[in-house]
Amino acid sequence: MASPSAIEFRGVEKVYRSRLRRKEIAALNGVSFEVGRGEVCAFLGPNGAGKTTSISLLMGFLHADSGEIRVLDYEPGDVRAKAQIGFLPENFAFYKYLNAEKLLRFHHRLAGGRPDEAANRIGDLLHQVKLTGYETLKIGKYSRGMVQRLGIAQALLNNPQLLVLDEPTSGLDPAGRKEVRDLMFSLKAAGKTIFLSSHLLSEVEQICDKVMIIDRGRLLKSGRMEELLAAGDRAEIFANELPAEMEPELVGLGATIERSEHGVRIEIGTAHKRMVAEKLWAAGYDVVSLQPVRASLEELYMKVVGEKEAASKVIAPGVLGLS
Amino acid sequence: MKIRTLAWSTFGSFFHNALIVVLLIVCVGVVLLMLTPLLGMKAMTTAQNASQVQVAVLGFVAAIMGFVSGFGSLLAAWAAADSLSSEMTSGTILAVMARPVKRWEFLLGKFLGVMLLMAAYVAMMFGLSWLLAWIGGERIRTAQWVLLAYPMVRYAIWAAVAMALATLLRPIIAMGIVALLALGATITASTNLDEHSVVVRYLLHGIYLVLPSTNLLSETRFLEITKASLKPTGWMEHGCTVAYGLDYAIVFLLVAMWSFHYRSLKRD
Repeated sequence: MASPSAIEFRGVEKVYRSRLRRKEIAALNGVSFEVGRGEVCAFLGPNGAGKTTSISLLMGFLHADSGEIRVLDYEPGDVRAKAQIGFLPENFAFYKYLNAEKLLRFHHRLAGGRPDEAANRIGDLLHQVKLTGYETLKIGKYSRGMVQRLGIAQALLNNPQLLVLDEPTSGLDPAGRKEVRDLMFSLKAAGKTIFLSSHLLSEVEQICDKVMIIDRGRLLKSGRMEELLAAGDRAEIFANELPAEMEPELVGLGATIERSEHGVRIEIGTAHKRMVAEKLWAAGYDVVSLQPVRASLEELYMKVVGEKEAASKVIAPGVLGLS
Repeated sequence: MKIRTLAWSTFGSFFHNALIVVLLIVCVGVVLLMLTPLLGMKAMTTAQNASQVQVAVLGFVAAIMGFVSGFGSLLAAWAAADSLSSEMTSGTILAVMARPVKRWEFLLGKFLGVMLLMAAYVAMMFGLSWLLAWIGGERIRTAQWVLLAYPMVRYAIWAAVAMALATLLRPIIAMGIVALLALGATITASTNLDEHSVVVRYLLHGIYLVLPSTNLLSETRFLEITKASLKPTGWMEHGCTVAYGLDYAIVFLLVAMWSFHYRSLKRD
Protein backbone atom coordinates (compact mmCIF):
# COMPACT_ATOMS: atom_id res chain seq x y z
CA MET A 1 0.00 0.00 0.00
CA ALA A 2 1.33 3.43 -0.91
CA SER A 3 2.54 5.60 1.95
CA PRO A 4 0.47 8.76 2.57
CA SER A 5 3.71 10.72 2.35
CA ALA A 6 5.14 11.83 -0.96
CA ILE A 7 8.43 12.90 0.66
CA GLU A 8 9.93 11.73 3.94
CA PHE A 9 13.16 12.95 5.52
CA ARG A 10 14.20 11.28 8.77
CA GLY A 11 17.26 12.59 10.60
CA VAL A 12 19.03 13.49 7.37
CA GLU A 13 22.56 14.79 7.66
CA LYS A 14 24.82 16.02 4.93
CA VAL A 15 28.32 17.35 5.33
CA TYR A 16 30.34 18.83 2.46
CA ARG A 17 33.97 17.90 2.77
CA SER A 18 36.87 19.66 1.17
CA ARG A 19 39.72 17.20 1.37
CA LEU A 20 42.30 19.67 0.12
CA ARG A 21 41.49 22.28 2.75
CA ARG A 22 40.56 19.66 5.37
CA LYS A 23 37.34 21.55 5.99
CA GLU A 24 33.82 20.34 6.62
CA ILE A 25 30.61 22.28 6.20
CA ALA A 26 27.45 20.87 7.75
CA ALA A 27 24.76 21.53 5.14
CA LEU A 28 21.96 19.53 6.82
CA ASN A 29 21.85 18.61 10.46
CA GLY A 30 19.29 15.97 11.43
CA VAL A 31 16.51 17.28 9.19
CA SER A 32 13.19 15.45 9.46
CA PHE A 33 9.93 16.28 7.73
CA GLU A 34 7.11 14.80 5.71
CA VAL A 35 5.13 16.09 2.78
CA GLY A 36 1.80 14.38 2.28
CA ARG A 37 0.45 13.36 -1.11
CA GLY A 38 -1.56 16.18 -2.66
CA GLU A 39 -0.02 18.82 -0.39
CA VAL A 40 1.58 22.00 -1.62
CA CYS A 41 4.55 22.57 0.61
CA ALA A 42 6.82 25.61 0.77
CA PHE A 43 10.44 25.12 1.70
CA LEU A 44 11.80 28.43 2.91
CA GLY A 45 15.08 29.73 4.21
CA PRO A 46 17.80 32.26 3.52
CA ASN A 47 20.53 31.62 0.95
CA GLY A 48 22.82 28.84 2.10
CA ALA A 49 20.20 27.44 4.49
CA GLY A 50 20.24 23.95 2.94
CA LYS A 51 17.24 24.15 0.61
CA THR A 52 19.06 23.21 -2.59
CA THR A 53 20.99 20.50 -0.74
CA SER A 54 17.70 19.01 0.48
CA ILE A 55 16.24 19.13 -3.03
CA SER A 56 19.41 17.56 -4.47
CA LEU A 57 19.18 14.78 -1.89
CA LEU A 58 15.55 14.02 -2.64
CA MET A 59 16.29 13.98 -6.38
CA GLY A 60 19.18 11.57 -5.79
CA PHE A 61 21.84 14.00 -7.04
CA LEU A 62 23.62 13.88 -3.68
CA HIS A 63 23.95 11.09 -1.15
CA ALA A 64 23.06 11.72 2.50
CA ASP A 65 25.69 10.94 5.13
CA SER A 66 23.04 9.58 7.48
CA GLY A 67 19.30 9.43 7.89
CA GLU A 68 16.60 8.11 5.63
CA ILE A 69 14.87 9.66 2.64
CA ARG A 70 11.87 8.25 0.78
CA VAL A 71 10.33 9.81 -2.29
CA LEU A 72 7.01 8.38 -3.47
CA ASP A 73 7.89 5.20 -1.51
CA TYR A 74 11.25 4.76 -3.24
CA GLU A 75 14.85 5.60 -2.53
CA PRO A 76 15.95 8.95 -3.97
CA GLY A 77 17.23 8.53 -7.52
CA ASP A 78 15.15 5.41 -8.13
CA VAL A 79 13.90 5.56 -11.72
CA ARG A 80 10.41 4.46 -10.58
CA ALA A 81 10.22 7.58 -8.42
CA LYS A 82 11.80 9.83 -11.03
CA ALA A 83 9.23 8.67 -13.59
CA GLN A 84 6.60 10.40 -11.42
CA ILE A 85 8.56 13.57 -10.63
CA GLY A 86 8.70 16.84 -12.50
CA PHE A 87 11.75 18.87 -11.53
CA LEU A 88 12.69 22.48 -12.10
CA PRO A 89 16.14 23.31 -10.74
CA GLU A 90 17.17 26.82 -9.76
CA ASN A 91 18.69 28.64 -12.76
CA PHE A 92 17.67 25.90 -15.12
CA ALA A 93 20.26 25.18 -17.83
CA PHE A 94 19.41 23.83 -21.27
CA TYR A 95 21.26 22.76 -24.38
CA LYS A 96 21.33 26.22 -25.90
CA TYR A 97 21.75 24.98 -29.47
CA LEU A 98 18.39 23.20 -29.36
CA ASN A 99 15.01 24.83 -29.81
CA ALA A 100 12.11 24.36 -27.40
CA GLU A 101 10.43 21.68 -29.48
CA LYS A 102 13.61 19.59 -29.83
CA LEU A 103 14.51 19.96 -26.16
CA LEU A 104 11.07 18.85 -25.01
CA ARG A 105 11.15 15.96 -27.48
CA PHE A 106 14.51 14.90 -26.03
CA HIS A 107 13.12 15.02 -22.49
CA HIS A 108 9.95 13.26 -23.61
CA ARG A 109 12.02 10.35 -24.93
CA LEU A 110 14.10 10.21 -21.72
CA ALA A 111 10.89 10.21 -19.71
CA GLY A 112 9.82 7.12 -21.64
CA GLY A 113 6.96 8.89 -23.41
CA ARG A 114 5.37 7.36 -26.50
CA PRO A 115 6.70 9.00 -29.68
CA ASP A 116 3.21 9.31 -31.19
CA GLU A 117 2.08 11.36 -28.19
CA ALA A 118 5.05 13.72 -28.18
CA ALA A 119 3.83 16.30 -30.71
CA ASN A 120 0.48 16.87 -29.00
CA ARG A 121 1.90 16.92 -25.50
CA ILE A 122 4.69 19.34 -26.44
CA GLY A 123 2.29 21.60 -28.34
CA ASP A 124 -0.08 21.72 -25.36
CA LEU A 125 2.70 22.51 -22.88
CA LEU A 126 4.23 25.24 -25.02
CA HIS A 127 0.77 26.76 -25.32
CA GLN A 128 0.29 26.46 -21.56
CA VAL A 129 3.53 28.34 -20.80
CA LYS A 130 2.86 30.85 -23.61
CA LEU A 131 5.81 29.86 -25.80
CA THR A 132 3.74 29.05 -28.86
CA GLY A 133 5.39 30.74 -31.82
CA TYR A 134 8.88 30.36 -30.35
CA GLU A 135 9.19 26.59 -30.91
CA THR A 136 11.89 26.93 -33.55
CA LEU A 137 13.90 29.71 -31.90
CA LYS A 138 17.15 28.44 -30.37
CA ILE A 139 17.02 28.44 -26.57
CA GLY A 140 20.26 30.43 -26.46
CA LYS A 141 18.26 33.38 -27.80
CA TYR A 142 15.52 33.12 -25.17
CA SER A 143 15.11 35.71 -22.43
CA ARG A 144 15.51 34.63 -18.79
CA GLY A 145 11.74 34.53 -18.37
CA MET A 146 11.24 32.41 -21.50
CA VAL A 147 13.85 29.92 -20.29
CA GLN A 148 12.03 29.70 -16.98
CA ARG A 149 8.73 29.06 -18.76
CA LEU A 150 10.39 26.34 -20.80
CA GLY A 151 11.75 24.86 -17.58
CA ILE A 152 8.24 24.70 -16.19
CA ALA A 153 7.02 23.05 -19.40
CA GLN A 154 9.69 20.35 -19.18
CA ALA A 155 8.84 19.78 -15.52
CA LEU A 156 5.22 19.08 -16.51
CA LEU A 157 6.15 16.93 -19.51
CA ASN A 158 5.58 13.54 -17.90
CA ASN A 159 2.36 14.55 -16.12
CA PRO A 160 4.11 14.13 -12.75
CA GLN A 161 2.54 13.23 -9.42
CA LEU A 162 5.20 15.22 -7.55
CA LEU A 163 6.58 18.56 -8.68
CA VAL A 164 9.83 19.76 -7.18
CA LEU A 165 10.24 23.41 -8.05
CA ASP A 166 13.26 25.44 -7.03
CA GLU A 167 12.45 29.14 -7.47
CA PRO A 168 9.84 28.64 -10.22
CA THR A 169 9.04 32.34 -10.61
CA SER A 170 12.66 33.46 -10.73
CA GLY A 171 13.25 35.77 -13.70
CA LEU A 172 9.56 36.18 -14.50
CA ASP A 173 7.78 39.51 -14.77
CA PRO A 174 4.68 40.13 -12.60
CA ALA A 175 2.34 38.78 -15.30
CA GLY A 176 4.53 35.68 -15.70
CA ARG A 177 4.55 35.15 -11.95
CA LYS A 178 0.78 35.33 -11.85
CA GLU A 179 0.55 32.77 -14.67
CA VAL A 180 2.84 30.40 -12.78
CA ARG A 181 0.81 30.96 -9.64
CA ASP A 182 -2.41 30.17 -11.51
CA LEU A 183 -0.76 27.09 -12.98
CA MET A 184 0.18 25.91 -9.51
CA PHE A 185 -3.37 26.45 -8.31
CA SER A 186 -4.63 24.27 -11.16
CA LEU A 187 -2.02 21.60 -10.37
CA LYS A 188 -3.03 21.73 -6.73
CA ALA A 189 -6.67 21.32 -7.73
CA ALA A 190 -5.64 18.30 -9.82
CA GLY A 191 -4.23 16.68 -6.68
CA LYS A 192 -0.54 17.02 -7.50
CA THR A 193 2.01 17.24 -4.73
CA ILE A 194 4.18 20.34 -5.02
CA PHE A 195 7.41 20.90 -3.13
CA LEU A 196 8.30 24.50 -3.66
CA SER A 197 11.35 26.50 -2.75
CA SER A 198 10.89 30.24 -3.12
CA HIS A 199 11.87 33.59 -1.68
CA LEU A 200 8.57 35.19 -2.74
CA LEU A 201 6.74 34.77 0.54
CA SER A 202 3.53 36.51 -0.48
CA GLU A 203 3.07 34.02 -3.34
CA VAL A 204 3.95 31.07 -1.15
CA GLU A 205 1.39 32.22 1.40
CA GLN A 206 -1.31 32.21 -1.26
CA ILE A 207 -0.52 28.81 -2.73
CA CYS A 208 0.88 26.54 -0.05
CA ASP A 209 -0.87 24.34 2.52
CA LYS A 210 2.24 23.65 4.48
CA VAL A 211 5.42 25.55 5.24
CA MET A 212 8.86 24.57 6.44
CA ILE A 213 11.56 27.04 7.39
CA ILE A 214 15.16 25.90 7.37
CA ASP A 215 18.31 27.76 8.28
CA ARG A 216 21.92 26.65 8.64
CA GLY A 217 20.97 23.05 7.99
CA ARG A 218 18.32 22.85 10.72
CA LEU A 219 14.57 22.77 10.32
CA LEU A 220 13.35 25.65 12.45
CA LYS A 221 9.61 25.56 11.88
CA SER A 222 7.24 23.20 10.14
CA GLY A 223 3.47 22.93 10.02
CA ARG A 224 0.21 23.76 8.29
CA MET A 225 0.22 27.30 6.96
CA GLU A 226 -3.03 28.28 8.69
CA GLU A 227 -1.87 26.96 12.06
CA LEU A 228 1.54 28.59 11.91
CA LEU A 229 0.17 31.96 10.88
CA ALA A 230 -2.56 31.86 13.49
CA ALA A 231 -0.28 30.73 16.27
CA GLY A 232 0.91 34.22 17.12
CA ASP A 233 0.95 35.64 20.65
CA ARG A 234 -1.47 38.48 19.81
CA ALA A 235 -5.24 38.56 19.72
CA GLU A 236 -7.63 41.14 18.34
CA ILE A 237 -10.85 42.19 20.02
CA PHE A 238 -13.57 44.10 18.22
CA ALA A 239 -15.91 46.02 20.56
CA ASN A 240 -18.64 48.56 19.86
CA GLU A 241 -17.03 51.04 22.28
CA LEU A 242 -14.14 51.44 24.70
CA PRO A 243 -14.49 53.58 27.84
CA ALA A 244 -11.81 56.29 28.00
CA GLU A 245 -10.75 55.23 31.53
CA MET A 246 -9.77 51.75 30.30
CA GLU A 247 -7.51 53.02 27.55
CA PRO A 248 -4.39 53.90 29.66
CA GLU A 249 -4.58 50.51 31.36
CA LEU A 250 -4.71 48.68 28.02
CA VAL A 251 -1.86 50.73 26.59
CA GLY A 252 0.08 49.83 29.70
CA LEU A 253 -0.48 46.15 28.84
CA GLY A 254 0.99 46.69 25.36
CA ALA A 255 -2.30 46.97 23.49
CA THR A 256 -2.75 48.93 20.29
CA ILE A 257 -6.12 50.60 19.88
CA GLU A 258 -7.73 51.68 16.63
CA ARG A 259 -11.04 53.51 16.63
CA SER A 260 -13.33 53.69 13.62
CA GLU A 261 -16.96 54.51 12.90
CA HIS A 262 -17.78 50.79 13.24
CA GLY A 263 -16.22 50.38 16.67
CA VAL A 264 -12.87 49.76 18.32
CA ARG A 265 -10.17 47.26 17.41
CA ILE A 266 -7.91 46.29 20.30
CA GLU A 267 -4.82 44.19 19.60
CA ILE A 268 -3.32 42.75 22.73
CA GLY A 269 -1.17 39.90 23.98
CA THR A 270 -3.06 36.60 24.23
CA ALA A 271 -2.35 36.48 27.98
CA HIS A 272 -4.60 39.50 28.54
CA LYS A 273 -7.34 38.87 26.00
CA ARG A 274 -9.76 37.18 28.42
CA MET A 275 -9.35 39.82 31.09
CA VAL A 276 -9.97 42.66 28.61
CA ALA A 277 -13.02 40.94 27.10
CA GLU A 278 -14.51 40.29 30.55
CA LYS A 279 -13.97 43.90 31.63
CA LEU A 280 -15.69 45.15 28.49
CA TRP A 281 -18.65 42.82 29.06
CA ALA A 282 -18.82 43.79 32.72
CA ALA A 283 -18.87 47.49 31.76
CA GLY A 284 -21.81 46.83 29.47
CA TYR A 285 -20.08 47.00 26.09
CA ASP A 286 -20.44 44.49 23.28
CA VAL A 287 -17.45 42.32 22.32
CA VAL A 288 -18.23 41.71 18.66
CA SER A 289 -15.36 39.30 18.03
CA LEU A 290 -12.23 37.90 19.61
CA GLN A 291 -9.71 36.07 17.44
CA PRO A 292 -6.00 35.44 17.15
CA VAL A 293 -4.09 37.92 15.03
CA ARG A 294 -3.10 36.19 11.78
CA ALA A 295 0.52 37.03 11.05
CA SER A 296 1.78 37.21 7.48
CA LEU A 297 4.21 34.57 6.32
CA GLU A 298 6.84 37.25 5.97
CA GLU A 299 6.40 38.20 9.63
CA LEU A 300 6.59 34.56 10.69
CA TYR A 301 9.65 33.99 8.52
CA MET A 302 11.47 37.06 9.80
CA LYS A 303 10.63 36.10 13.35
CA VAL A 304 11.84 32.50 13.01
CA VAL A 305 14.97 33.27 11.02
CA GLY A 306 15.66 36.42 13.01
CA GLU A 307 15.49 34.57 16.35
CA LYS A 308 17.87 31.95 15.03
CA GLU A 309 20.16 34.66 13.72
CA ALA A 310 20.25 36.37 17.11
CA ALA A 311 20.77 33.07 18.95
CA SER A 312 23.58 32.00 16.61
CA LYS A 313 25.49 35.21 17.29
CA VAL A 314 25.66 34.20 20.93
CA ILE A 315 25.99 30.42 20.69
CA ALA A 316 27.92 29.32 17.64
CA PRO A 317 29.40 30.47 14.37
CA GLY A 318 27.23 29.93 11.31
CA VAL A 319 29.57 27.61 9.49
CA LEU A 320 30.96 24.57 11.17
CA GLY A 321 34.62 24.60 10.28
CA LEU A 322 36.46 21.52 11.44
CA SER A 323 40.13 21.19 10.83
CA MET B 1 15.72 3.88 -26.12
CA LYS B 2 17.06 6.22 -23.40
CA ILE B 3 20.67 5.24 -24.05
CA ARG B 4 20.16 5.73 -27.79
CA THR B 5 18.57 9.15 -27.17
CA LEU B 6 21.50 10.19 -24.98
CA ALA B 7 24.03 8.87 -27.52
CA TRP B 8 22.53 10.79 -30.44
CA SER B 9 22.15 13.91 -28.31
CA THR B 10 25.82 13.68 -27.30
CA PHE B 11 26.87 13.13 -30.91
CA GLY B 12 24.86 16.17 -32.01
CA SER B 13 26.33 18.30 -29.23
CA PHE B 14 29.86 17.85 -30.60
CA PHE B 15 28.96 19.85 -33.70
CA HIS B 16 28.02 22.75 -31.41
CA ASN B 17 31.16 22.42 -29.32
CA ALA B 18 33.47 25.22 -30.46
CA LEU B 19 36.68 23.51 -29.33
CA ILE B 20 35.92 20.22 -31.06
CA VAL B 21 34.90 21.99 -34.26
CA VAL B 22 38.14 24.03 -34.15
CA LEU B 23 40.18 20.85 -33.52
CA LEU B 24 38.55 19.15 -36.52
CA ILE B 25 39.17 22.20 -38.71
CA VAL B 26 42.82 22.29 -37.59
CA CYS B 27 43.14 18.56 -38.37
CA VAL B 28 41.73 19.01 -41.87
CA GLY B 29 43.98 22.06 -42.36
CA VAL B 30 47.11 20.16 -41.32
CA VAL B 31 46.23 17.22 -43.61
CA LEU B 32 45.70 19.62 -46.52
CA LEU B 33 49.03 21.31 -45.77
CA MET B 34 50.80 17.93 -45.64
CA LEU B 35 49.19 16.95 -48.93
CA THR B 36 50.72 19.95 -50.71
CA PRO B 37 54.36 18.73 -50.70
CA LEU B 38 53.15 15.19 -51.30
CA LEU B 39 51.26 16.16 -54.45
CA GLY B 40 54.13 18.44 -55.49
CA MET B 41 56.55 15.54 -55.27
CA LYS B 42 54.22 13.32 -57.27
CA ALA B 43 54.01 16.01 -59.91
CA MET B 44 57.81 16.15 -60.18
CA THR B 45 58.18 12.40 -60.72
CA THR B 46 60.21 11.50 -63.78
CA ALA B 47 61.49 8.20 -65.07
CA GLN B 48 64.88 8.94 -63.50
CA ASN B 49 63.76 9.82 -59.95
CA ALA B 50 60.69 7.58 -59.77
CA SER B 51 62.03 5.19 -57.13
CA GLN B 52 63.42 7.98 -54.89
CA VAL B 53 60.19 9.97 -55.11
CA GLN B 54 58.20 6.85 -54.34
CA VAL B 55 60.13 6.38 -51.07
CA ALA B 56 59.58 10.04 -50.09
CA VAL B 57 55.91 9.86 -51.02
CA LEU B 58 55.41 6.75 -48.90
CA GLY B 59 57.15 8.52 -46.03
CA PHE B 60 54.74 11.43 -46.32
CA VAL B 61 51.78 9.11 -46.54
CA ALA B 62 52.93 7.32 -43.37
CA ALA B 63 53.37 10.69 -41.59
CA ILE B 64 49.89 11.87 -42.58
CA MET B 65 48.26 8.62 -41.50
CA GLY B 66 50.22 8.67 -38.23
CA PHE B 67 49.08 12.24 -37.57
CA VAL B 68 45.44 11.56 -38.39
CA SER B 69 45.45 8.38 -36.33
CA GLY B 70 47.11 10.05 -33.31
CA PHE B 71 44.81 13.04 -33.58
CA GLY B 72 41.87 10.66 -33.40
CA SER B 73 43.10 9.40 -30.02
CA LEU B 74 43.30 12.97 -28.76
CA LEU B 75 39.85 13.73 -30.14
CA ALA B 76 38.33 10.61 -28.55
CA ALA B 77 39.82 11.43 -25.15
CA TRP B 78 38.82 15.10 -25.24
CA ALA B 79 35.32 14.43 -26.55
CA ALA B 80 34.73 11.87 -23.78
CA ALA B 81 36.06 14.07 -20.98
CA ASP B 82 34.27 17.17 -22.27
CA SER B 83 30.95 15.46 -22.94
CA LEU B 84 30.70 14.66 -19.26
CA SER B 85 32.24 17.74 -17.71
CA SER B 86 30.35 20.22 -19.91
CA GLU B 87 27.08 18.79 -18.58
CA MET B 88 28.30 19.37 -15.04
CA THR B 89 29.64 22.85 -15.73
CA SER B 90 26.52 24.08 -17.49
CA GLY B 91 24.17 22.32 -15.08
CA THR B 92 22.25 20.59 -17.88
CA ILE B 93 22.93 17.27 -16.16
CA LEU B 94 20.40 18.14 -13.44
CA ALA B 95 17.49 18.24 -15.86
CA VAL B 96 18.63 15.07 -17.60
CA MET B 97 19.25 13.09 -14.43
CA ALA B 98 15.87 14.15 -13.04
CA ARG B 99 14.41 11.89 -15.74
CA PRO B 100 14.04 8.16 -15.12
CA VAL B 101 17.58 7.53 -16.30
CA LYS B 102 20.05 5.45 -14.31
CA ARG B 103 23.51 6.87 -13.86
CA TRP B 104 25.16 4.04 -15.79
CA GLU B 105 22.69 4.57 -18.63
CA PHE B 106 23.64 8.23 -18.78
CA LEU B 107 27.36 7.43 -18.88
CA LEU B 108 26.93 4.67 -21.44
CA GLY B 109 24.86 7.02 -23.61
CA LYS B 110 27.64 9.62 -23.42
CA PHE B 111 30.26 7.01 -24.28
CA LEU B 112 28.29 5.74 -27.26
CA GLY B 113 27.84 9.34 -28.42
CA VAL B 114 31.62 9.71 -28.42
CA MET B 115 31.93 6.45 -30.33
CA LEU B 116 29.47 7.75 -32.95
CA LEU B 117 31.73 10.77 -33.41
CA MET B 118 34.75 8.50 -33.68
CA ALA B 119 32.92 6.24 -36.15
CA ALA B 120 32.45 9.29 -38.39
CA TYR B 121 36.13 10.14 -37.92
CA VAL B 122 37.23 6.57 -38.71
CA ALA B 123 35.08 6.59 -41.85
CA MET B 124 36.85 9.79 -42.90
CA MET B 125 40.23 8.22 -42.05
CA PHE B 126 39.32 5.13 -44.06
CA GLY B 127 38.62 7.29 -47.11
CA LEU B 128 41.87 9.16 -46.55
CA SER B 129 43.80 5.86 -46.40
CA TRP B 130 42.45 4.91 -49.82
CA LEU B 131 43.16 8.37 -51.21
CA LEU B 132 46.73 8.38 -49.92
CA ALA B 133 47.34 4.83 -51.11
CA TRP B 134 46.19 5.90 -54.55
CA ILE B 135 48.40 9.01 -54.47
CA GLY B 136 51.31 6.86 -53.26
CA GLY B 137 50.78 4.52 -56.17
CA GLU B 138 50.02 1.62 -53.87
CA ARG B 139 46.94 -0.31 -52.98
CA ILE B 140 45.71 -1.42 -49.59
CA ARG B 141 46.17 -5.14 -49.26
CA THR B 142 44.74 -5.74 -45.80
CA ALA B 143 41.14 -6.64 -44.95
CA GLN B 144 38.90 -3.57 -44.90
CA TRP B 145 37.42 -4.33 -41.49
CA VAL B 146 40.86 -4.00 -39.89
CA LEU B 147 41.03 -0.37 -41.00
CA LEU B 148 37.65 0.23 -39.35
CA ALA B 149 37.70 -2.00 -36.28
CA TYR B 150 41.22 -1.39 -35.01
CA PRO B 151 40.98 2.39 -34.75
CA MET B 152 37.49 2.14 -33.26
CA VAL B 153 38.76 -0.15 -30.49
CA ARG B 154 41.77 2.08 -29.96
CA TYR B 155 39.56 5.16 -29.64
CA ALA B 156 37.20 3.27 -27.34
CA ILE B 157 40.15 2.74 -25.00
CA TRP B 158 41.11 6.43 -24.93
CA ALA B 159 37.49 7.53 -24.57
CA ALA B 160 36.91 5.13 -21.66
CA VAL B 161 40.14 6.15 -19.89
CA ALA B 162 39.34 9.87 -20.30
CA MET B 163 35.73 9.37 -19.20
CA ALA B 164 36.81 7.50 -16.07
CA LEU B 165 39.19 10.32 -15.20
CA ALA B 166 36.58 12.98 -15.99
CA THR B 167 34.21 11.50 -13.41
CA LEU B 168 36.73 12.58 -10.79
CA LEU B 169 38.71 15.44 -12.28
CA ARG B 170 38.30 18.51 -14.42
CA PRO B 171 38.66 17.72 -18.14
CA ILE B 172 41.92 19.61 -18.56
CA ILE B 173 43.50 17.63 -15.70
CA ALA B 174 42.00 14.41 -17.07
CA MET B 175 43.54 15.21 -20.46
CA GLY B 176 46.90 15.90 -18.80
CA ILE B 177 46.82 12.45 -17.20
CA VAL B 178 45.72 10.88 -20.51
CA ALA B 179 48.70 12.55 -22.20
CA LEU B 180 51.04 11.21 -19.51
CA LEU B 181 49.59 7.72 -19.92
CA ALA B 182 50.03 7.93 -23.69
CA LEU B 183 53.60 9.13 -23.28
CA GLY B 184 54.35 6.37 -20.78
CA ALA B 185 52.86 3.75 -23.10
CA THR B 186 54.88 5.05 -26.06
CA ILE B 187 58.13 5.09 -24.10
CA THR B 188 57.51 1.63 -22.66
CA ALA B 189 56.57 0.22 -26.05
CA SER B 190 59.68 1.65 -27.72
CA THR B 191 62.09 0.51 -24.99
CA ASN B 192 64.38 -2.32 -26.01
CA LEU B 193 63.80 -4.88 -23.27
CA ASP B 194 66.91 -6.86 -24.13
CA GLU B 195 69.09 -4.03 -22.82
CA HIS B 196 67.70 -4.35 -19.30
CA SER B 197 67.98 -6.79 -16.41
CA VAL B 198 65.31 -9.42 -15.83
CA VAL B 199 63.66 -7.41 -13.03
CA VAL B 200 63.46 -4.25 -15.12
CA ARG B 201 62.23 -6.30 -18.05
CA TYR B 202 59.35 -7.73 -15.99
CA LEU B 203 58.61 -4.30 -14.60
CA LEU B 204 58.48 -2.70 -18.05
CA HIS B 205 56.41 -5.55 -19.38
CA GLY B 206 53.96 -5.05 -16.52
CA ILE B 207 53.77 -1.32 -17.16
CA TYR B 208 53.25 -2.01 -20.86
CA LEU B 209 50.25 -4.21 -20.07
CA VAL B 210 48.76 -1.83 -17.52
CA LEU B 211 49.09 1.33 -19.61
CA PRO B 212 46.81 1.82 -22.59
CA SER B 213 49.39 0.51 -25.06
CA THR B 214 47.42 0.95 -28.24
CA ASN B 215 50.30 0.35 -30.62
CA LEU B 216 49.08 -3.26 -30.79
CA LEU B 217 45.86 -1.87 -32.21
CA SER B 218 47.53 0.31 -34.80
CA GLU B 219 45.97 -0.43 -38.15
CA THR B 220 49.14 0.96 -39.75
CA ARG B 221 50.66 -2.44 -38.93
CA PHE B 222 48.63 -3.75 -41.83
CA LEU B 223 49.03 -0.88 -44.22
CA GLU B 224 51.50 -1.76 -46.88
CA ILE B 225 51.87 1.91 -47.75
CA THR B 226 53.54 2.57 -44.39
CA LYS B 227 55.93 -0.30 -44.95
CA ALA B 228 54.58 -1.94 -41.84
CA SER B 229 54.62 -5.66 -41.27
CA LEU B 230 53.59 -7.66 -44.24
CA LYS B 231 53.37 -10.91 -42.35
CA PRO B 232 49.99 -12.57 -42.69
CA THR B 233 47.81 -12.15 -39.60
CA GLY B 234 45.53 -14.98 -38.56
CA TRP B 235 42.03 -14.64 -37.12
CA MET B 236 43.29 -15.74 -33.72
CA GLU B 237 45.79 -12.88 -33.60
CA HIS B 238 43.17 -10.38 -34.77
CA GLY B 239 40.70 -11.76 -32.25
CA CYS B 240 43.13 -11.56 -29.34
CA THR B 241 44.21 -8.02 -30.26
CA VAL B 242 40.66 -6.72 -30.58
CA ALA B 243 39.58 -8.58 -27.42
CA TYR B 244 42.54 -7.08 -25.52
CA GLY B 245 41.48 -3.59 -26.60
CA LEU B 246 37.80 -4.10 -25.89
CA ASP B 247 38.56 -5.63 -22.51
CA TYR B 248 40.72 -2.65 -21.61
CA ALA B 249 38.00 -0.21 -22.71
CA ILE B 250 35.25 -2.11 -20.86
CA VAL B 251 37.28 -2.19 -17.64
CA PHE B 252 37.74 1.58 -17.74
CA LEU B 253 34.12 2.15 -18.71
CA LEU B 254 33.04 0.10 -15.69
CA VAL B 255 35.42 2.11 -13.50
CA ALA B 256 33.84 5.28 -14.90
CA MET B 257 30.33 3.96 -14.17
CA TRP B 258 31.27 2.99 -10.63
CA SER B 259 32.91 6.35 -9.96
CA PHE B 260 30.00 8.27 -11.54
CA HIS B 261 27.48 6.31 -9.49
CA TYR B 262 28.88 7.72 -6.25
CA ARG B 263 29.76 11.24 -7.31
CA SER B 264 27.67 14.26 -6.43
CA LEU B 265 25.71 15.77 -9.30
CA LYS B 266 25.75 19.52 -9.05
CA ARG B 267 26.67 22.48 -11.13
CA ASP B 268 30.47 22.77 -10.97
